[in-house]
Amino acid sequence: MKVDLTTRIKGLTFKNPITVASGTFGTTDEYGRYVDYKKLGAIITKTITVKPREGNPMPRICETTAGMLNAIGLQNKGLEDFIIHKIPYFKKIGTPLIVSVAGETVQEFAELARVFEKHRDVVSALEVNLSCPNVEAGGVNFMKKQERILEAIKAVRQRTSLTVFAKLSPELGDVLEIAGKVLGEGADGISVTNTLRGMAVDIDSRRSKLAKDFGGLSGPAIKPVALRYVYQVKKEFKVPVIASGGISDVDDALEFLIVGADLLAVGTANFVEPRATLEILEGIKRFCAKQGIKKLDELRGSYRPCGDSKKGCHR
Amino acid sequence: MIIMVLRCLKDKTMTKKIFDEKVKILQNVKVNQKYYKLAFASPLLAQKAVPGQFLQIKIGEGNDPYLRRPFSYYRTSGNKVEILYEILGRGTRMLSEKKAGETLKVMGPLGKGFTLTPKGKKRVLVAGGVGVPPLVFLAERHAAAYLLIGTKSKAEVMPKSELKNAKAKILYSTEDGSYGVKGRVTALLEKILKKEDPGKIFIQTCGPKKMMEAVIAIARKYGIDGEASWDENMACGVGACLGCMVETRSGRMRACADGPVFPFKELVIP
Repeated sequence: MKVDLTTRIKGLTFKNPITVASGTFGTTDEYGRYVDYKKLGAIITKTITVKPREGNPMPRICETTAGMLNAIGLQNKGLEDFIIHKIPYFKKIGTPLIVSVAGETVQEFAELARVFEKHRDVVSALEVNLSCPNVEAGGVNFMKKQERILEAIKAVRQRTSLTVFAKLSPELGDVLEIAGKVLGEGADGISVTNTLRGMAVDIDSRRSKLAKDFGGLSGPAIKPVALRYVYQVKKEFKVPVIASGGISDVDDALEFLIVGADLLAVGTANFVEPRATLEILEGIKRFCAKQGIKKLDELRGSYRPCGDSKKGCHR
Repeated sequence: MIIMVLRCLKDKTMTKKIFDEKVKILQNVKVNQKYYKLAFASPLLAQKAVPGQFLQIKIGEGNDPYLRRPFSYYRTSGNKVEILYEILGRGTRMLSEKKAGETLKVMGPLGKGFTLTPKGKKRVLVAGGVGVPPLVFLAERHAAAYLLIGTKSKAEVMPKSELKNAKAKILYSTEDGSYGVKGRVTALLEKILKKEDPGKIFIQTCGPKKMMEAVIAIARKYGIDGEASWDENMACGVGACLGCMVETRSGRMRACADGPVFPFKELVIP
């Protein structure tokens, strides 16, 4: 049985809902020898900043229970390098490209939007990273001041007509409240969730296992939290949502679809199984075929809430 | 056996294939008080591997532990691959409990290995602790003048049977003097360099960072070239996560994809 996985978001069409979470799939073709990029619904890049960033010192990663902490610190070669060296690659691939961007100032957010607006032929959307836990300017500490988030989104909105997703995490404050405000400033959709800040301590040295006190927690450990935010954002605002947070296998992906996710961004799982995206995609097709689901939209958002019934969910 | 041949990576210098296989454990035994040896059969993972390259092993099937763990190749012969490891945490503890016949998911060969033929030079291999396996592999493949092995104590010294095919003069040092020369392996190295022509020596080293830093400092003092296998905590092992960056003269490089073996002259030692 052929299953229609087409995912439509505000005039954009993706042939399936599978994409990759920013920062977990490299900047261009790092996974090219494992995954045919043309089979993905979309590609979300590692966050691009105006200036090159070398990131934080080592160790930048450490494994934790069912997940990992990272403190990479947005290492990337900067906007100019991306435009010159990476855009041509994606143009050739043709898969919808969502560029993750972060600025250290409102002006930088504006600049990123202005430049990518000129590459509409390759870039489908921007994901505005408002919630990196590992950088100072532009990171969660900076963005905690809500007016900065709103100014960043406003600046991006003013300079581009590309679809704009705001990438949030609970580190910024109340996700629903912030989602409402960024949508009010013109964001088209929400990407949720970024990593949650966490710690890991070496008991012998009594120091952090990372070169920073905190890192961003990702992987299966954060999945239930991410699922809840996707559900709530979708229910509250009915806007396009890119779901990320511990999607590791087909069952995880289906849970996110059932609560309404539009795109499913596979993240840390890529580090474990380079072909995780395609395996999940095949799994979704098998599930739909087995359940007699002809179009993914029949499944999407089909969650049956508990409601106010005193009898509970399962009656 | 499930075999998945992954697409070829076209490198400027070589064509490198990476495989991801479910392998059956042939043997998993303790070789001394500290190290375990695990063997499995896989023609694809065995045949093209170069000393200094590594494997990414998924230990359990579920989500915890989640990430794969990197292990250097200890030896390959025919279709057989061996790794040598120490219990350092939950993952390696679980690995040590695996029995022959159980399976593991293994990806490799990954990274760039040691230079196999440094022109006209005598190799001196300097190994410390967990850095011993790849250099034993190297000495088995290509004769070296010396293999210097430094450990904390006799407990970590490998049994003779494990070193019988190493084509090198093996010298030992232990920090507590319980085996070989008392002191650090770098003292052994200096002693050798004093009697050799430094211009004809090429050092290859793997071990704890402090040891490799000391080896590189000595090499610089004598004007000797060499290579170090430098690693950092890794997540993906294939160059995407940027977790394992190494400071080099050409900027930060990825230990997993651009290394783990780097020339001494490239490394920036803090």
